[in-house]
Amino acid sequence: MGELLRVEGLSKHFGGLKAINGLDLTLEEGETLGIIGPNGAGKTTLFNVICGVLKPTAGKVVLDGEEIQGLPSYKIAHRGVARTFQISKPLKDISIVDNVVASLGIHEYTGIRSLLRNSHKRETVDKALEILERTGLLEFKDKLAREVSLGYLRRLEIARALATNPRLIMLDEPCAGLSNFAINEVIDLVMQLKSEGKSIVLIEHNLPISMKVSDRITVLNYGQKIAEGIPEDIRNNPQVIEAYLGEDDDIA
Amino acid sequence: MYLTVVSVNIGIFILLALSLNIITGYAGQPALGHAAFFGIGAYTSAILTTSYGMNFWLSIPFAFIMAGIMGGFLGLISIRMRDDFLAITSIGINFVVVAIFQYSDFFGGSLGISLKRPYFFGMKVTATGYLILIGLMILGTVLLILKMKRSWFGLALSSIRNDETAAASFGIDVNRYKVLAFTLGTAIAGMTGAVYAHHMTFIYSSDFAFIVSISILSMVVIGGIGTIRGPIFGAILLGAAPELFRFFADYRMIVYGGLLVFMMRFQSQGFLGYDSVLVRAFKKLFPGGLKKKEGEIIG
Amino acid sequence: MLSQQIVNGIMIGSVYALTAMGATLIYGILRILDIANAGAYAVGAYAGWYMYSVTENILLAFVFAMLFTGIIGVLVQKFIYFPIISKPNVIAIVPLITSVGLFTLTGDMLRLIFGPNVKNMNMTFKINAVEIGNVRISAEWIFIVLLTATLFFVLWFILNKTKLGLAWRATAADTEIAKTMGVNVHISMALSYVLGYGFAAAAGTMVGVLYNSIYPTMGDIPSYKMLAIIVLGGLGNPLGTVVAGIVIGLSETLVSAYFGSIMPRDVIAFVVLIIVLLVKPSGLVTRKNT
Repeated sequence: MGELLRVEGLSKHFGGLKAINGLDLTLEEGETLGIIGPNGAGKTTLFNVICGVLKPTAGKVVLDGEEIQGLPSYKIAHRGVARTFQISKPLKDISIVDNVVASLGIHEYTGIRSLLRNSHKRETVDKALEILERTGLLEFKDKLAREVSLGYLRRLEIARALATNPRLIMLDEPCAGLSNFAINEVIDLVMQLKSEGKSIVLIEHNLPISMKVSDRITVLNYGQKIAEGIPEDIRNNPQVIEAYLGEDDDIA
Repeated sequence: MYLTVVSVNIGIFILLALSLNIITGYAGQPALGHAAFFGIGAYTSAILTTSYGMNFWLSIPFAFIMAGIMGGFLGLISIRMRDDFLAITSIGINFVVVAIFQYSDFFGGSLGISLKRPYFFGMKVTATGYLILIGLMILGTVLLILKMKRSWFGLALSSIRNDETAAASFGIDVNRYKVLAFTLGTAIAGMTGAVYAHHMTFIYSSDFAFIVSISILSMVVIGGIGTIRGPIFGAILLGAAPELFRFFADYRMIVYGGLLVFMMRFQSQGFLGYDSVLVRAFKKLFPGGLKKKEGEIIG
Repeated sequence: MLSQQIVNGIMIGSVYALTAMGATLIYGILRILDIANAGAYAVGAYAGWYMYSVTENILLAFVFAMLFTGIIGVLVQKFIYFPIISKPNVIAIVPLITSVGLFTLTGDMLRLIFGPNVKNMNMTFKINAVEIGNVRISAEWIFIVLLTATLFFVLWFILNKTKLGLAWRATAADTEIAKTMGVNVHISMALSYVLGYGFAAAAGTMVGVLYNSIYPTMGDIPSYKMLAIIVLGGLGNPLGTVVAGIVIGLSETLVSAYFGSIMPRDVIAFVVLIIVLLVKPSGLVTRKNT
């Protein structure tokens, strides 16, 4: 079990705004790292930089010993990093099962040759259905993605991430906007992934959820790390309390 | 004879509409200058057969490749620059291509190019011959699109049409697939141009003007963007109307323009799109008659 | 000779800038590439021609062209574009196809109403041509340059010195934030269309006066040149549009004067566009806030 992901001196500036500013992070193989912080702390920007949606202003992202910062996002996906989006990005006008099939094809998108390769072979569809079953979406398999509700779209995000068979799963607020019942289902799903030994980075605004799931928590504020440690330590850290008390979110 | 000639013309529109639909319907990319590539194919074939004595049949793949290269190149530089840029360069290329055809003596200038009828095993190709040729080309294109819809290629285009960031997140090289869609669609238009030139036996720059691009777009949009039946229906409807109703010929562009606005405002899936009024009515009458097909655009 | 060409280039470039200004204002707020602006250009030219043939007063002709077309612009915005972009799940090509449809519709309507033939707008000016050194500027051009400068000044004044303009700039910067600040974004949208279609109408009338010809398809070439200019100008940036219009005008004039028949004149704008964007993808003038 070695180090899977290392972020070194990472910065992302938008004009004068320093969304991330000199951030260091590490993630061990098989570990679940929670990232918390108030709104605007730079959490989603961090994901976008790691996944290649945005190019960093400075710093390194090292995945399994290789620098990946600045690579386009499809290449980072090929290297085994999967992510979900806080604002769901379903493929609206195709079915739920096809959404997952599309993701299963991660290594099939080879250009013009892919025109001759069937995307709906029995084993591919079976695999997609298996993932839908795991994520509790099986009954909606033939519905179009735009016809299902937000809670199921959140699960679809996770299903699609799983379908790429990733080494690292990055979840961006998978519980935001869900009912308590749906939140528990998502938590169960994440716990299950954890028990299978997956490496996970979880952005979660809701502190109790993050504490429950994470092995270790990093707290961000204004693009910088203000605390890091196991959940119990974070709970009692005065800086964290201060950063959060400025908000109307409740701490359990 | 007259009916055959009209049918060939409609067949040509069907091919143009189907090929534009690969770019605009399946990949969701705006392409407003499709007639330019139709023209590039027509002129490539015409010049090869008249100035270089090439056999008509051999000129078809050349027209296909030339239009595809030009389309791919334009797509490549447009997409590298910015997202919404393809719409602009594709209109621009249409005016540029027509201006060059008209301006340059190499392309016949303001005289156009006259062509000879080609032979097929010693027999002059008749209107019926062209009809069979176009029919085979349509069949081939439809089979290709059917194949595409069930391939990883098709799924990549669907993903890009829906959400480019999501598509990249599961490994799709978005720019590459956009350029490929553009190349494929324009190449088919180029191949169609080769047949058009030899069927008409005379081509002139304005045959490929911007309004022709708008006509093709109208056929796709009115029939149902992102389906196979839609562009075919649209091309037959709009291609036959001027022949059936003489008065229509004079009002053609006003009808196309009006229909485009009307469809976008009230029925953006076209008459035969997955969720259109007609298809829904059909489904009510015959439940289970039309099955939902995966990968069909309905946005 | 060179100085004359430069002056010619700047003059025609300022008319191009005026033509493209409408599309810029509309893109700035609605993020729509409104090709139908070229339709407004032709409609405006006909409106101006009509008023001039009735009253023989050129200023009245311009005012009428701008008002008439500007009102059409607001109606189009309110009853066609706004409902379309307000629909959920609307894909980007839908408004684009709409504008192509509107453009086609207006061009052909003009043909049906006024016939396909060229209309003349023959004017005599009381002023004479001006000569400075070896540069000669004709009476038509003096009039047009003065009018263009006035219109740009009015635009600058509205955008920078009035409440309406402040609201417009806030909406252009970020529609959502503008809404939370209490800006009525509908008014900003309407303003874009009134000014946008009005400016296009003025440009169409000017070109009608300049070449003494008005015809239904006169918007065709401007339709894509206009788009080339707004992209060069950095999309949605009024100042950039002026710079880009002049760059295109100058390039056209100088290339056709010194390289003659290297390519058709109307191709030059496209070539310049491709070259500039290969070197500087964001356009000639980049906005400060993005």
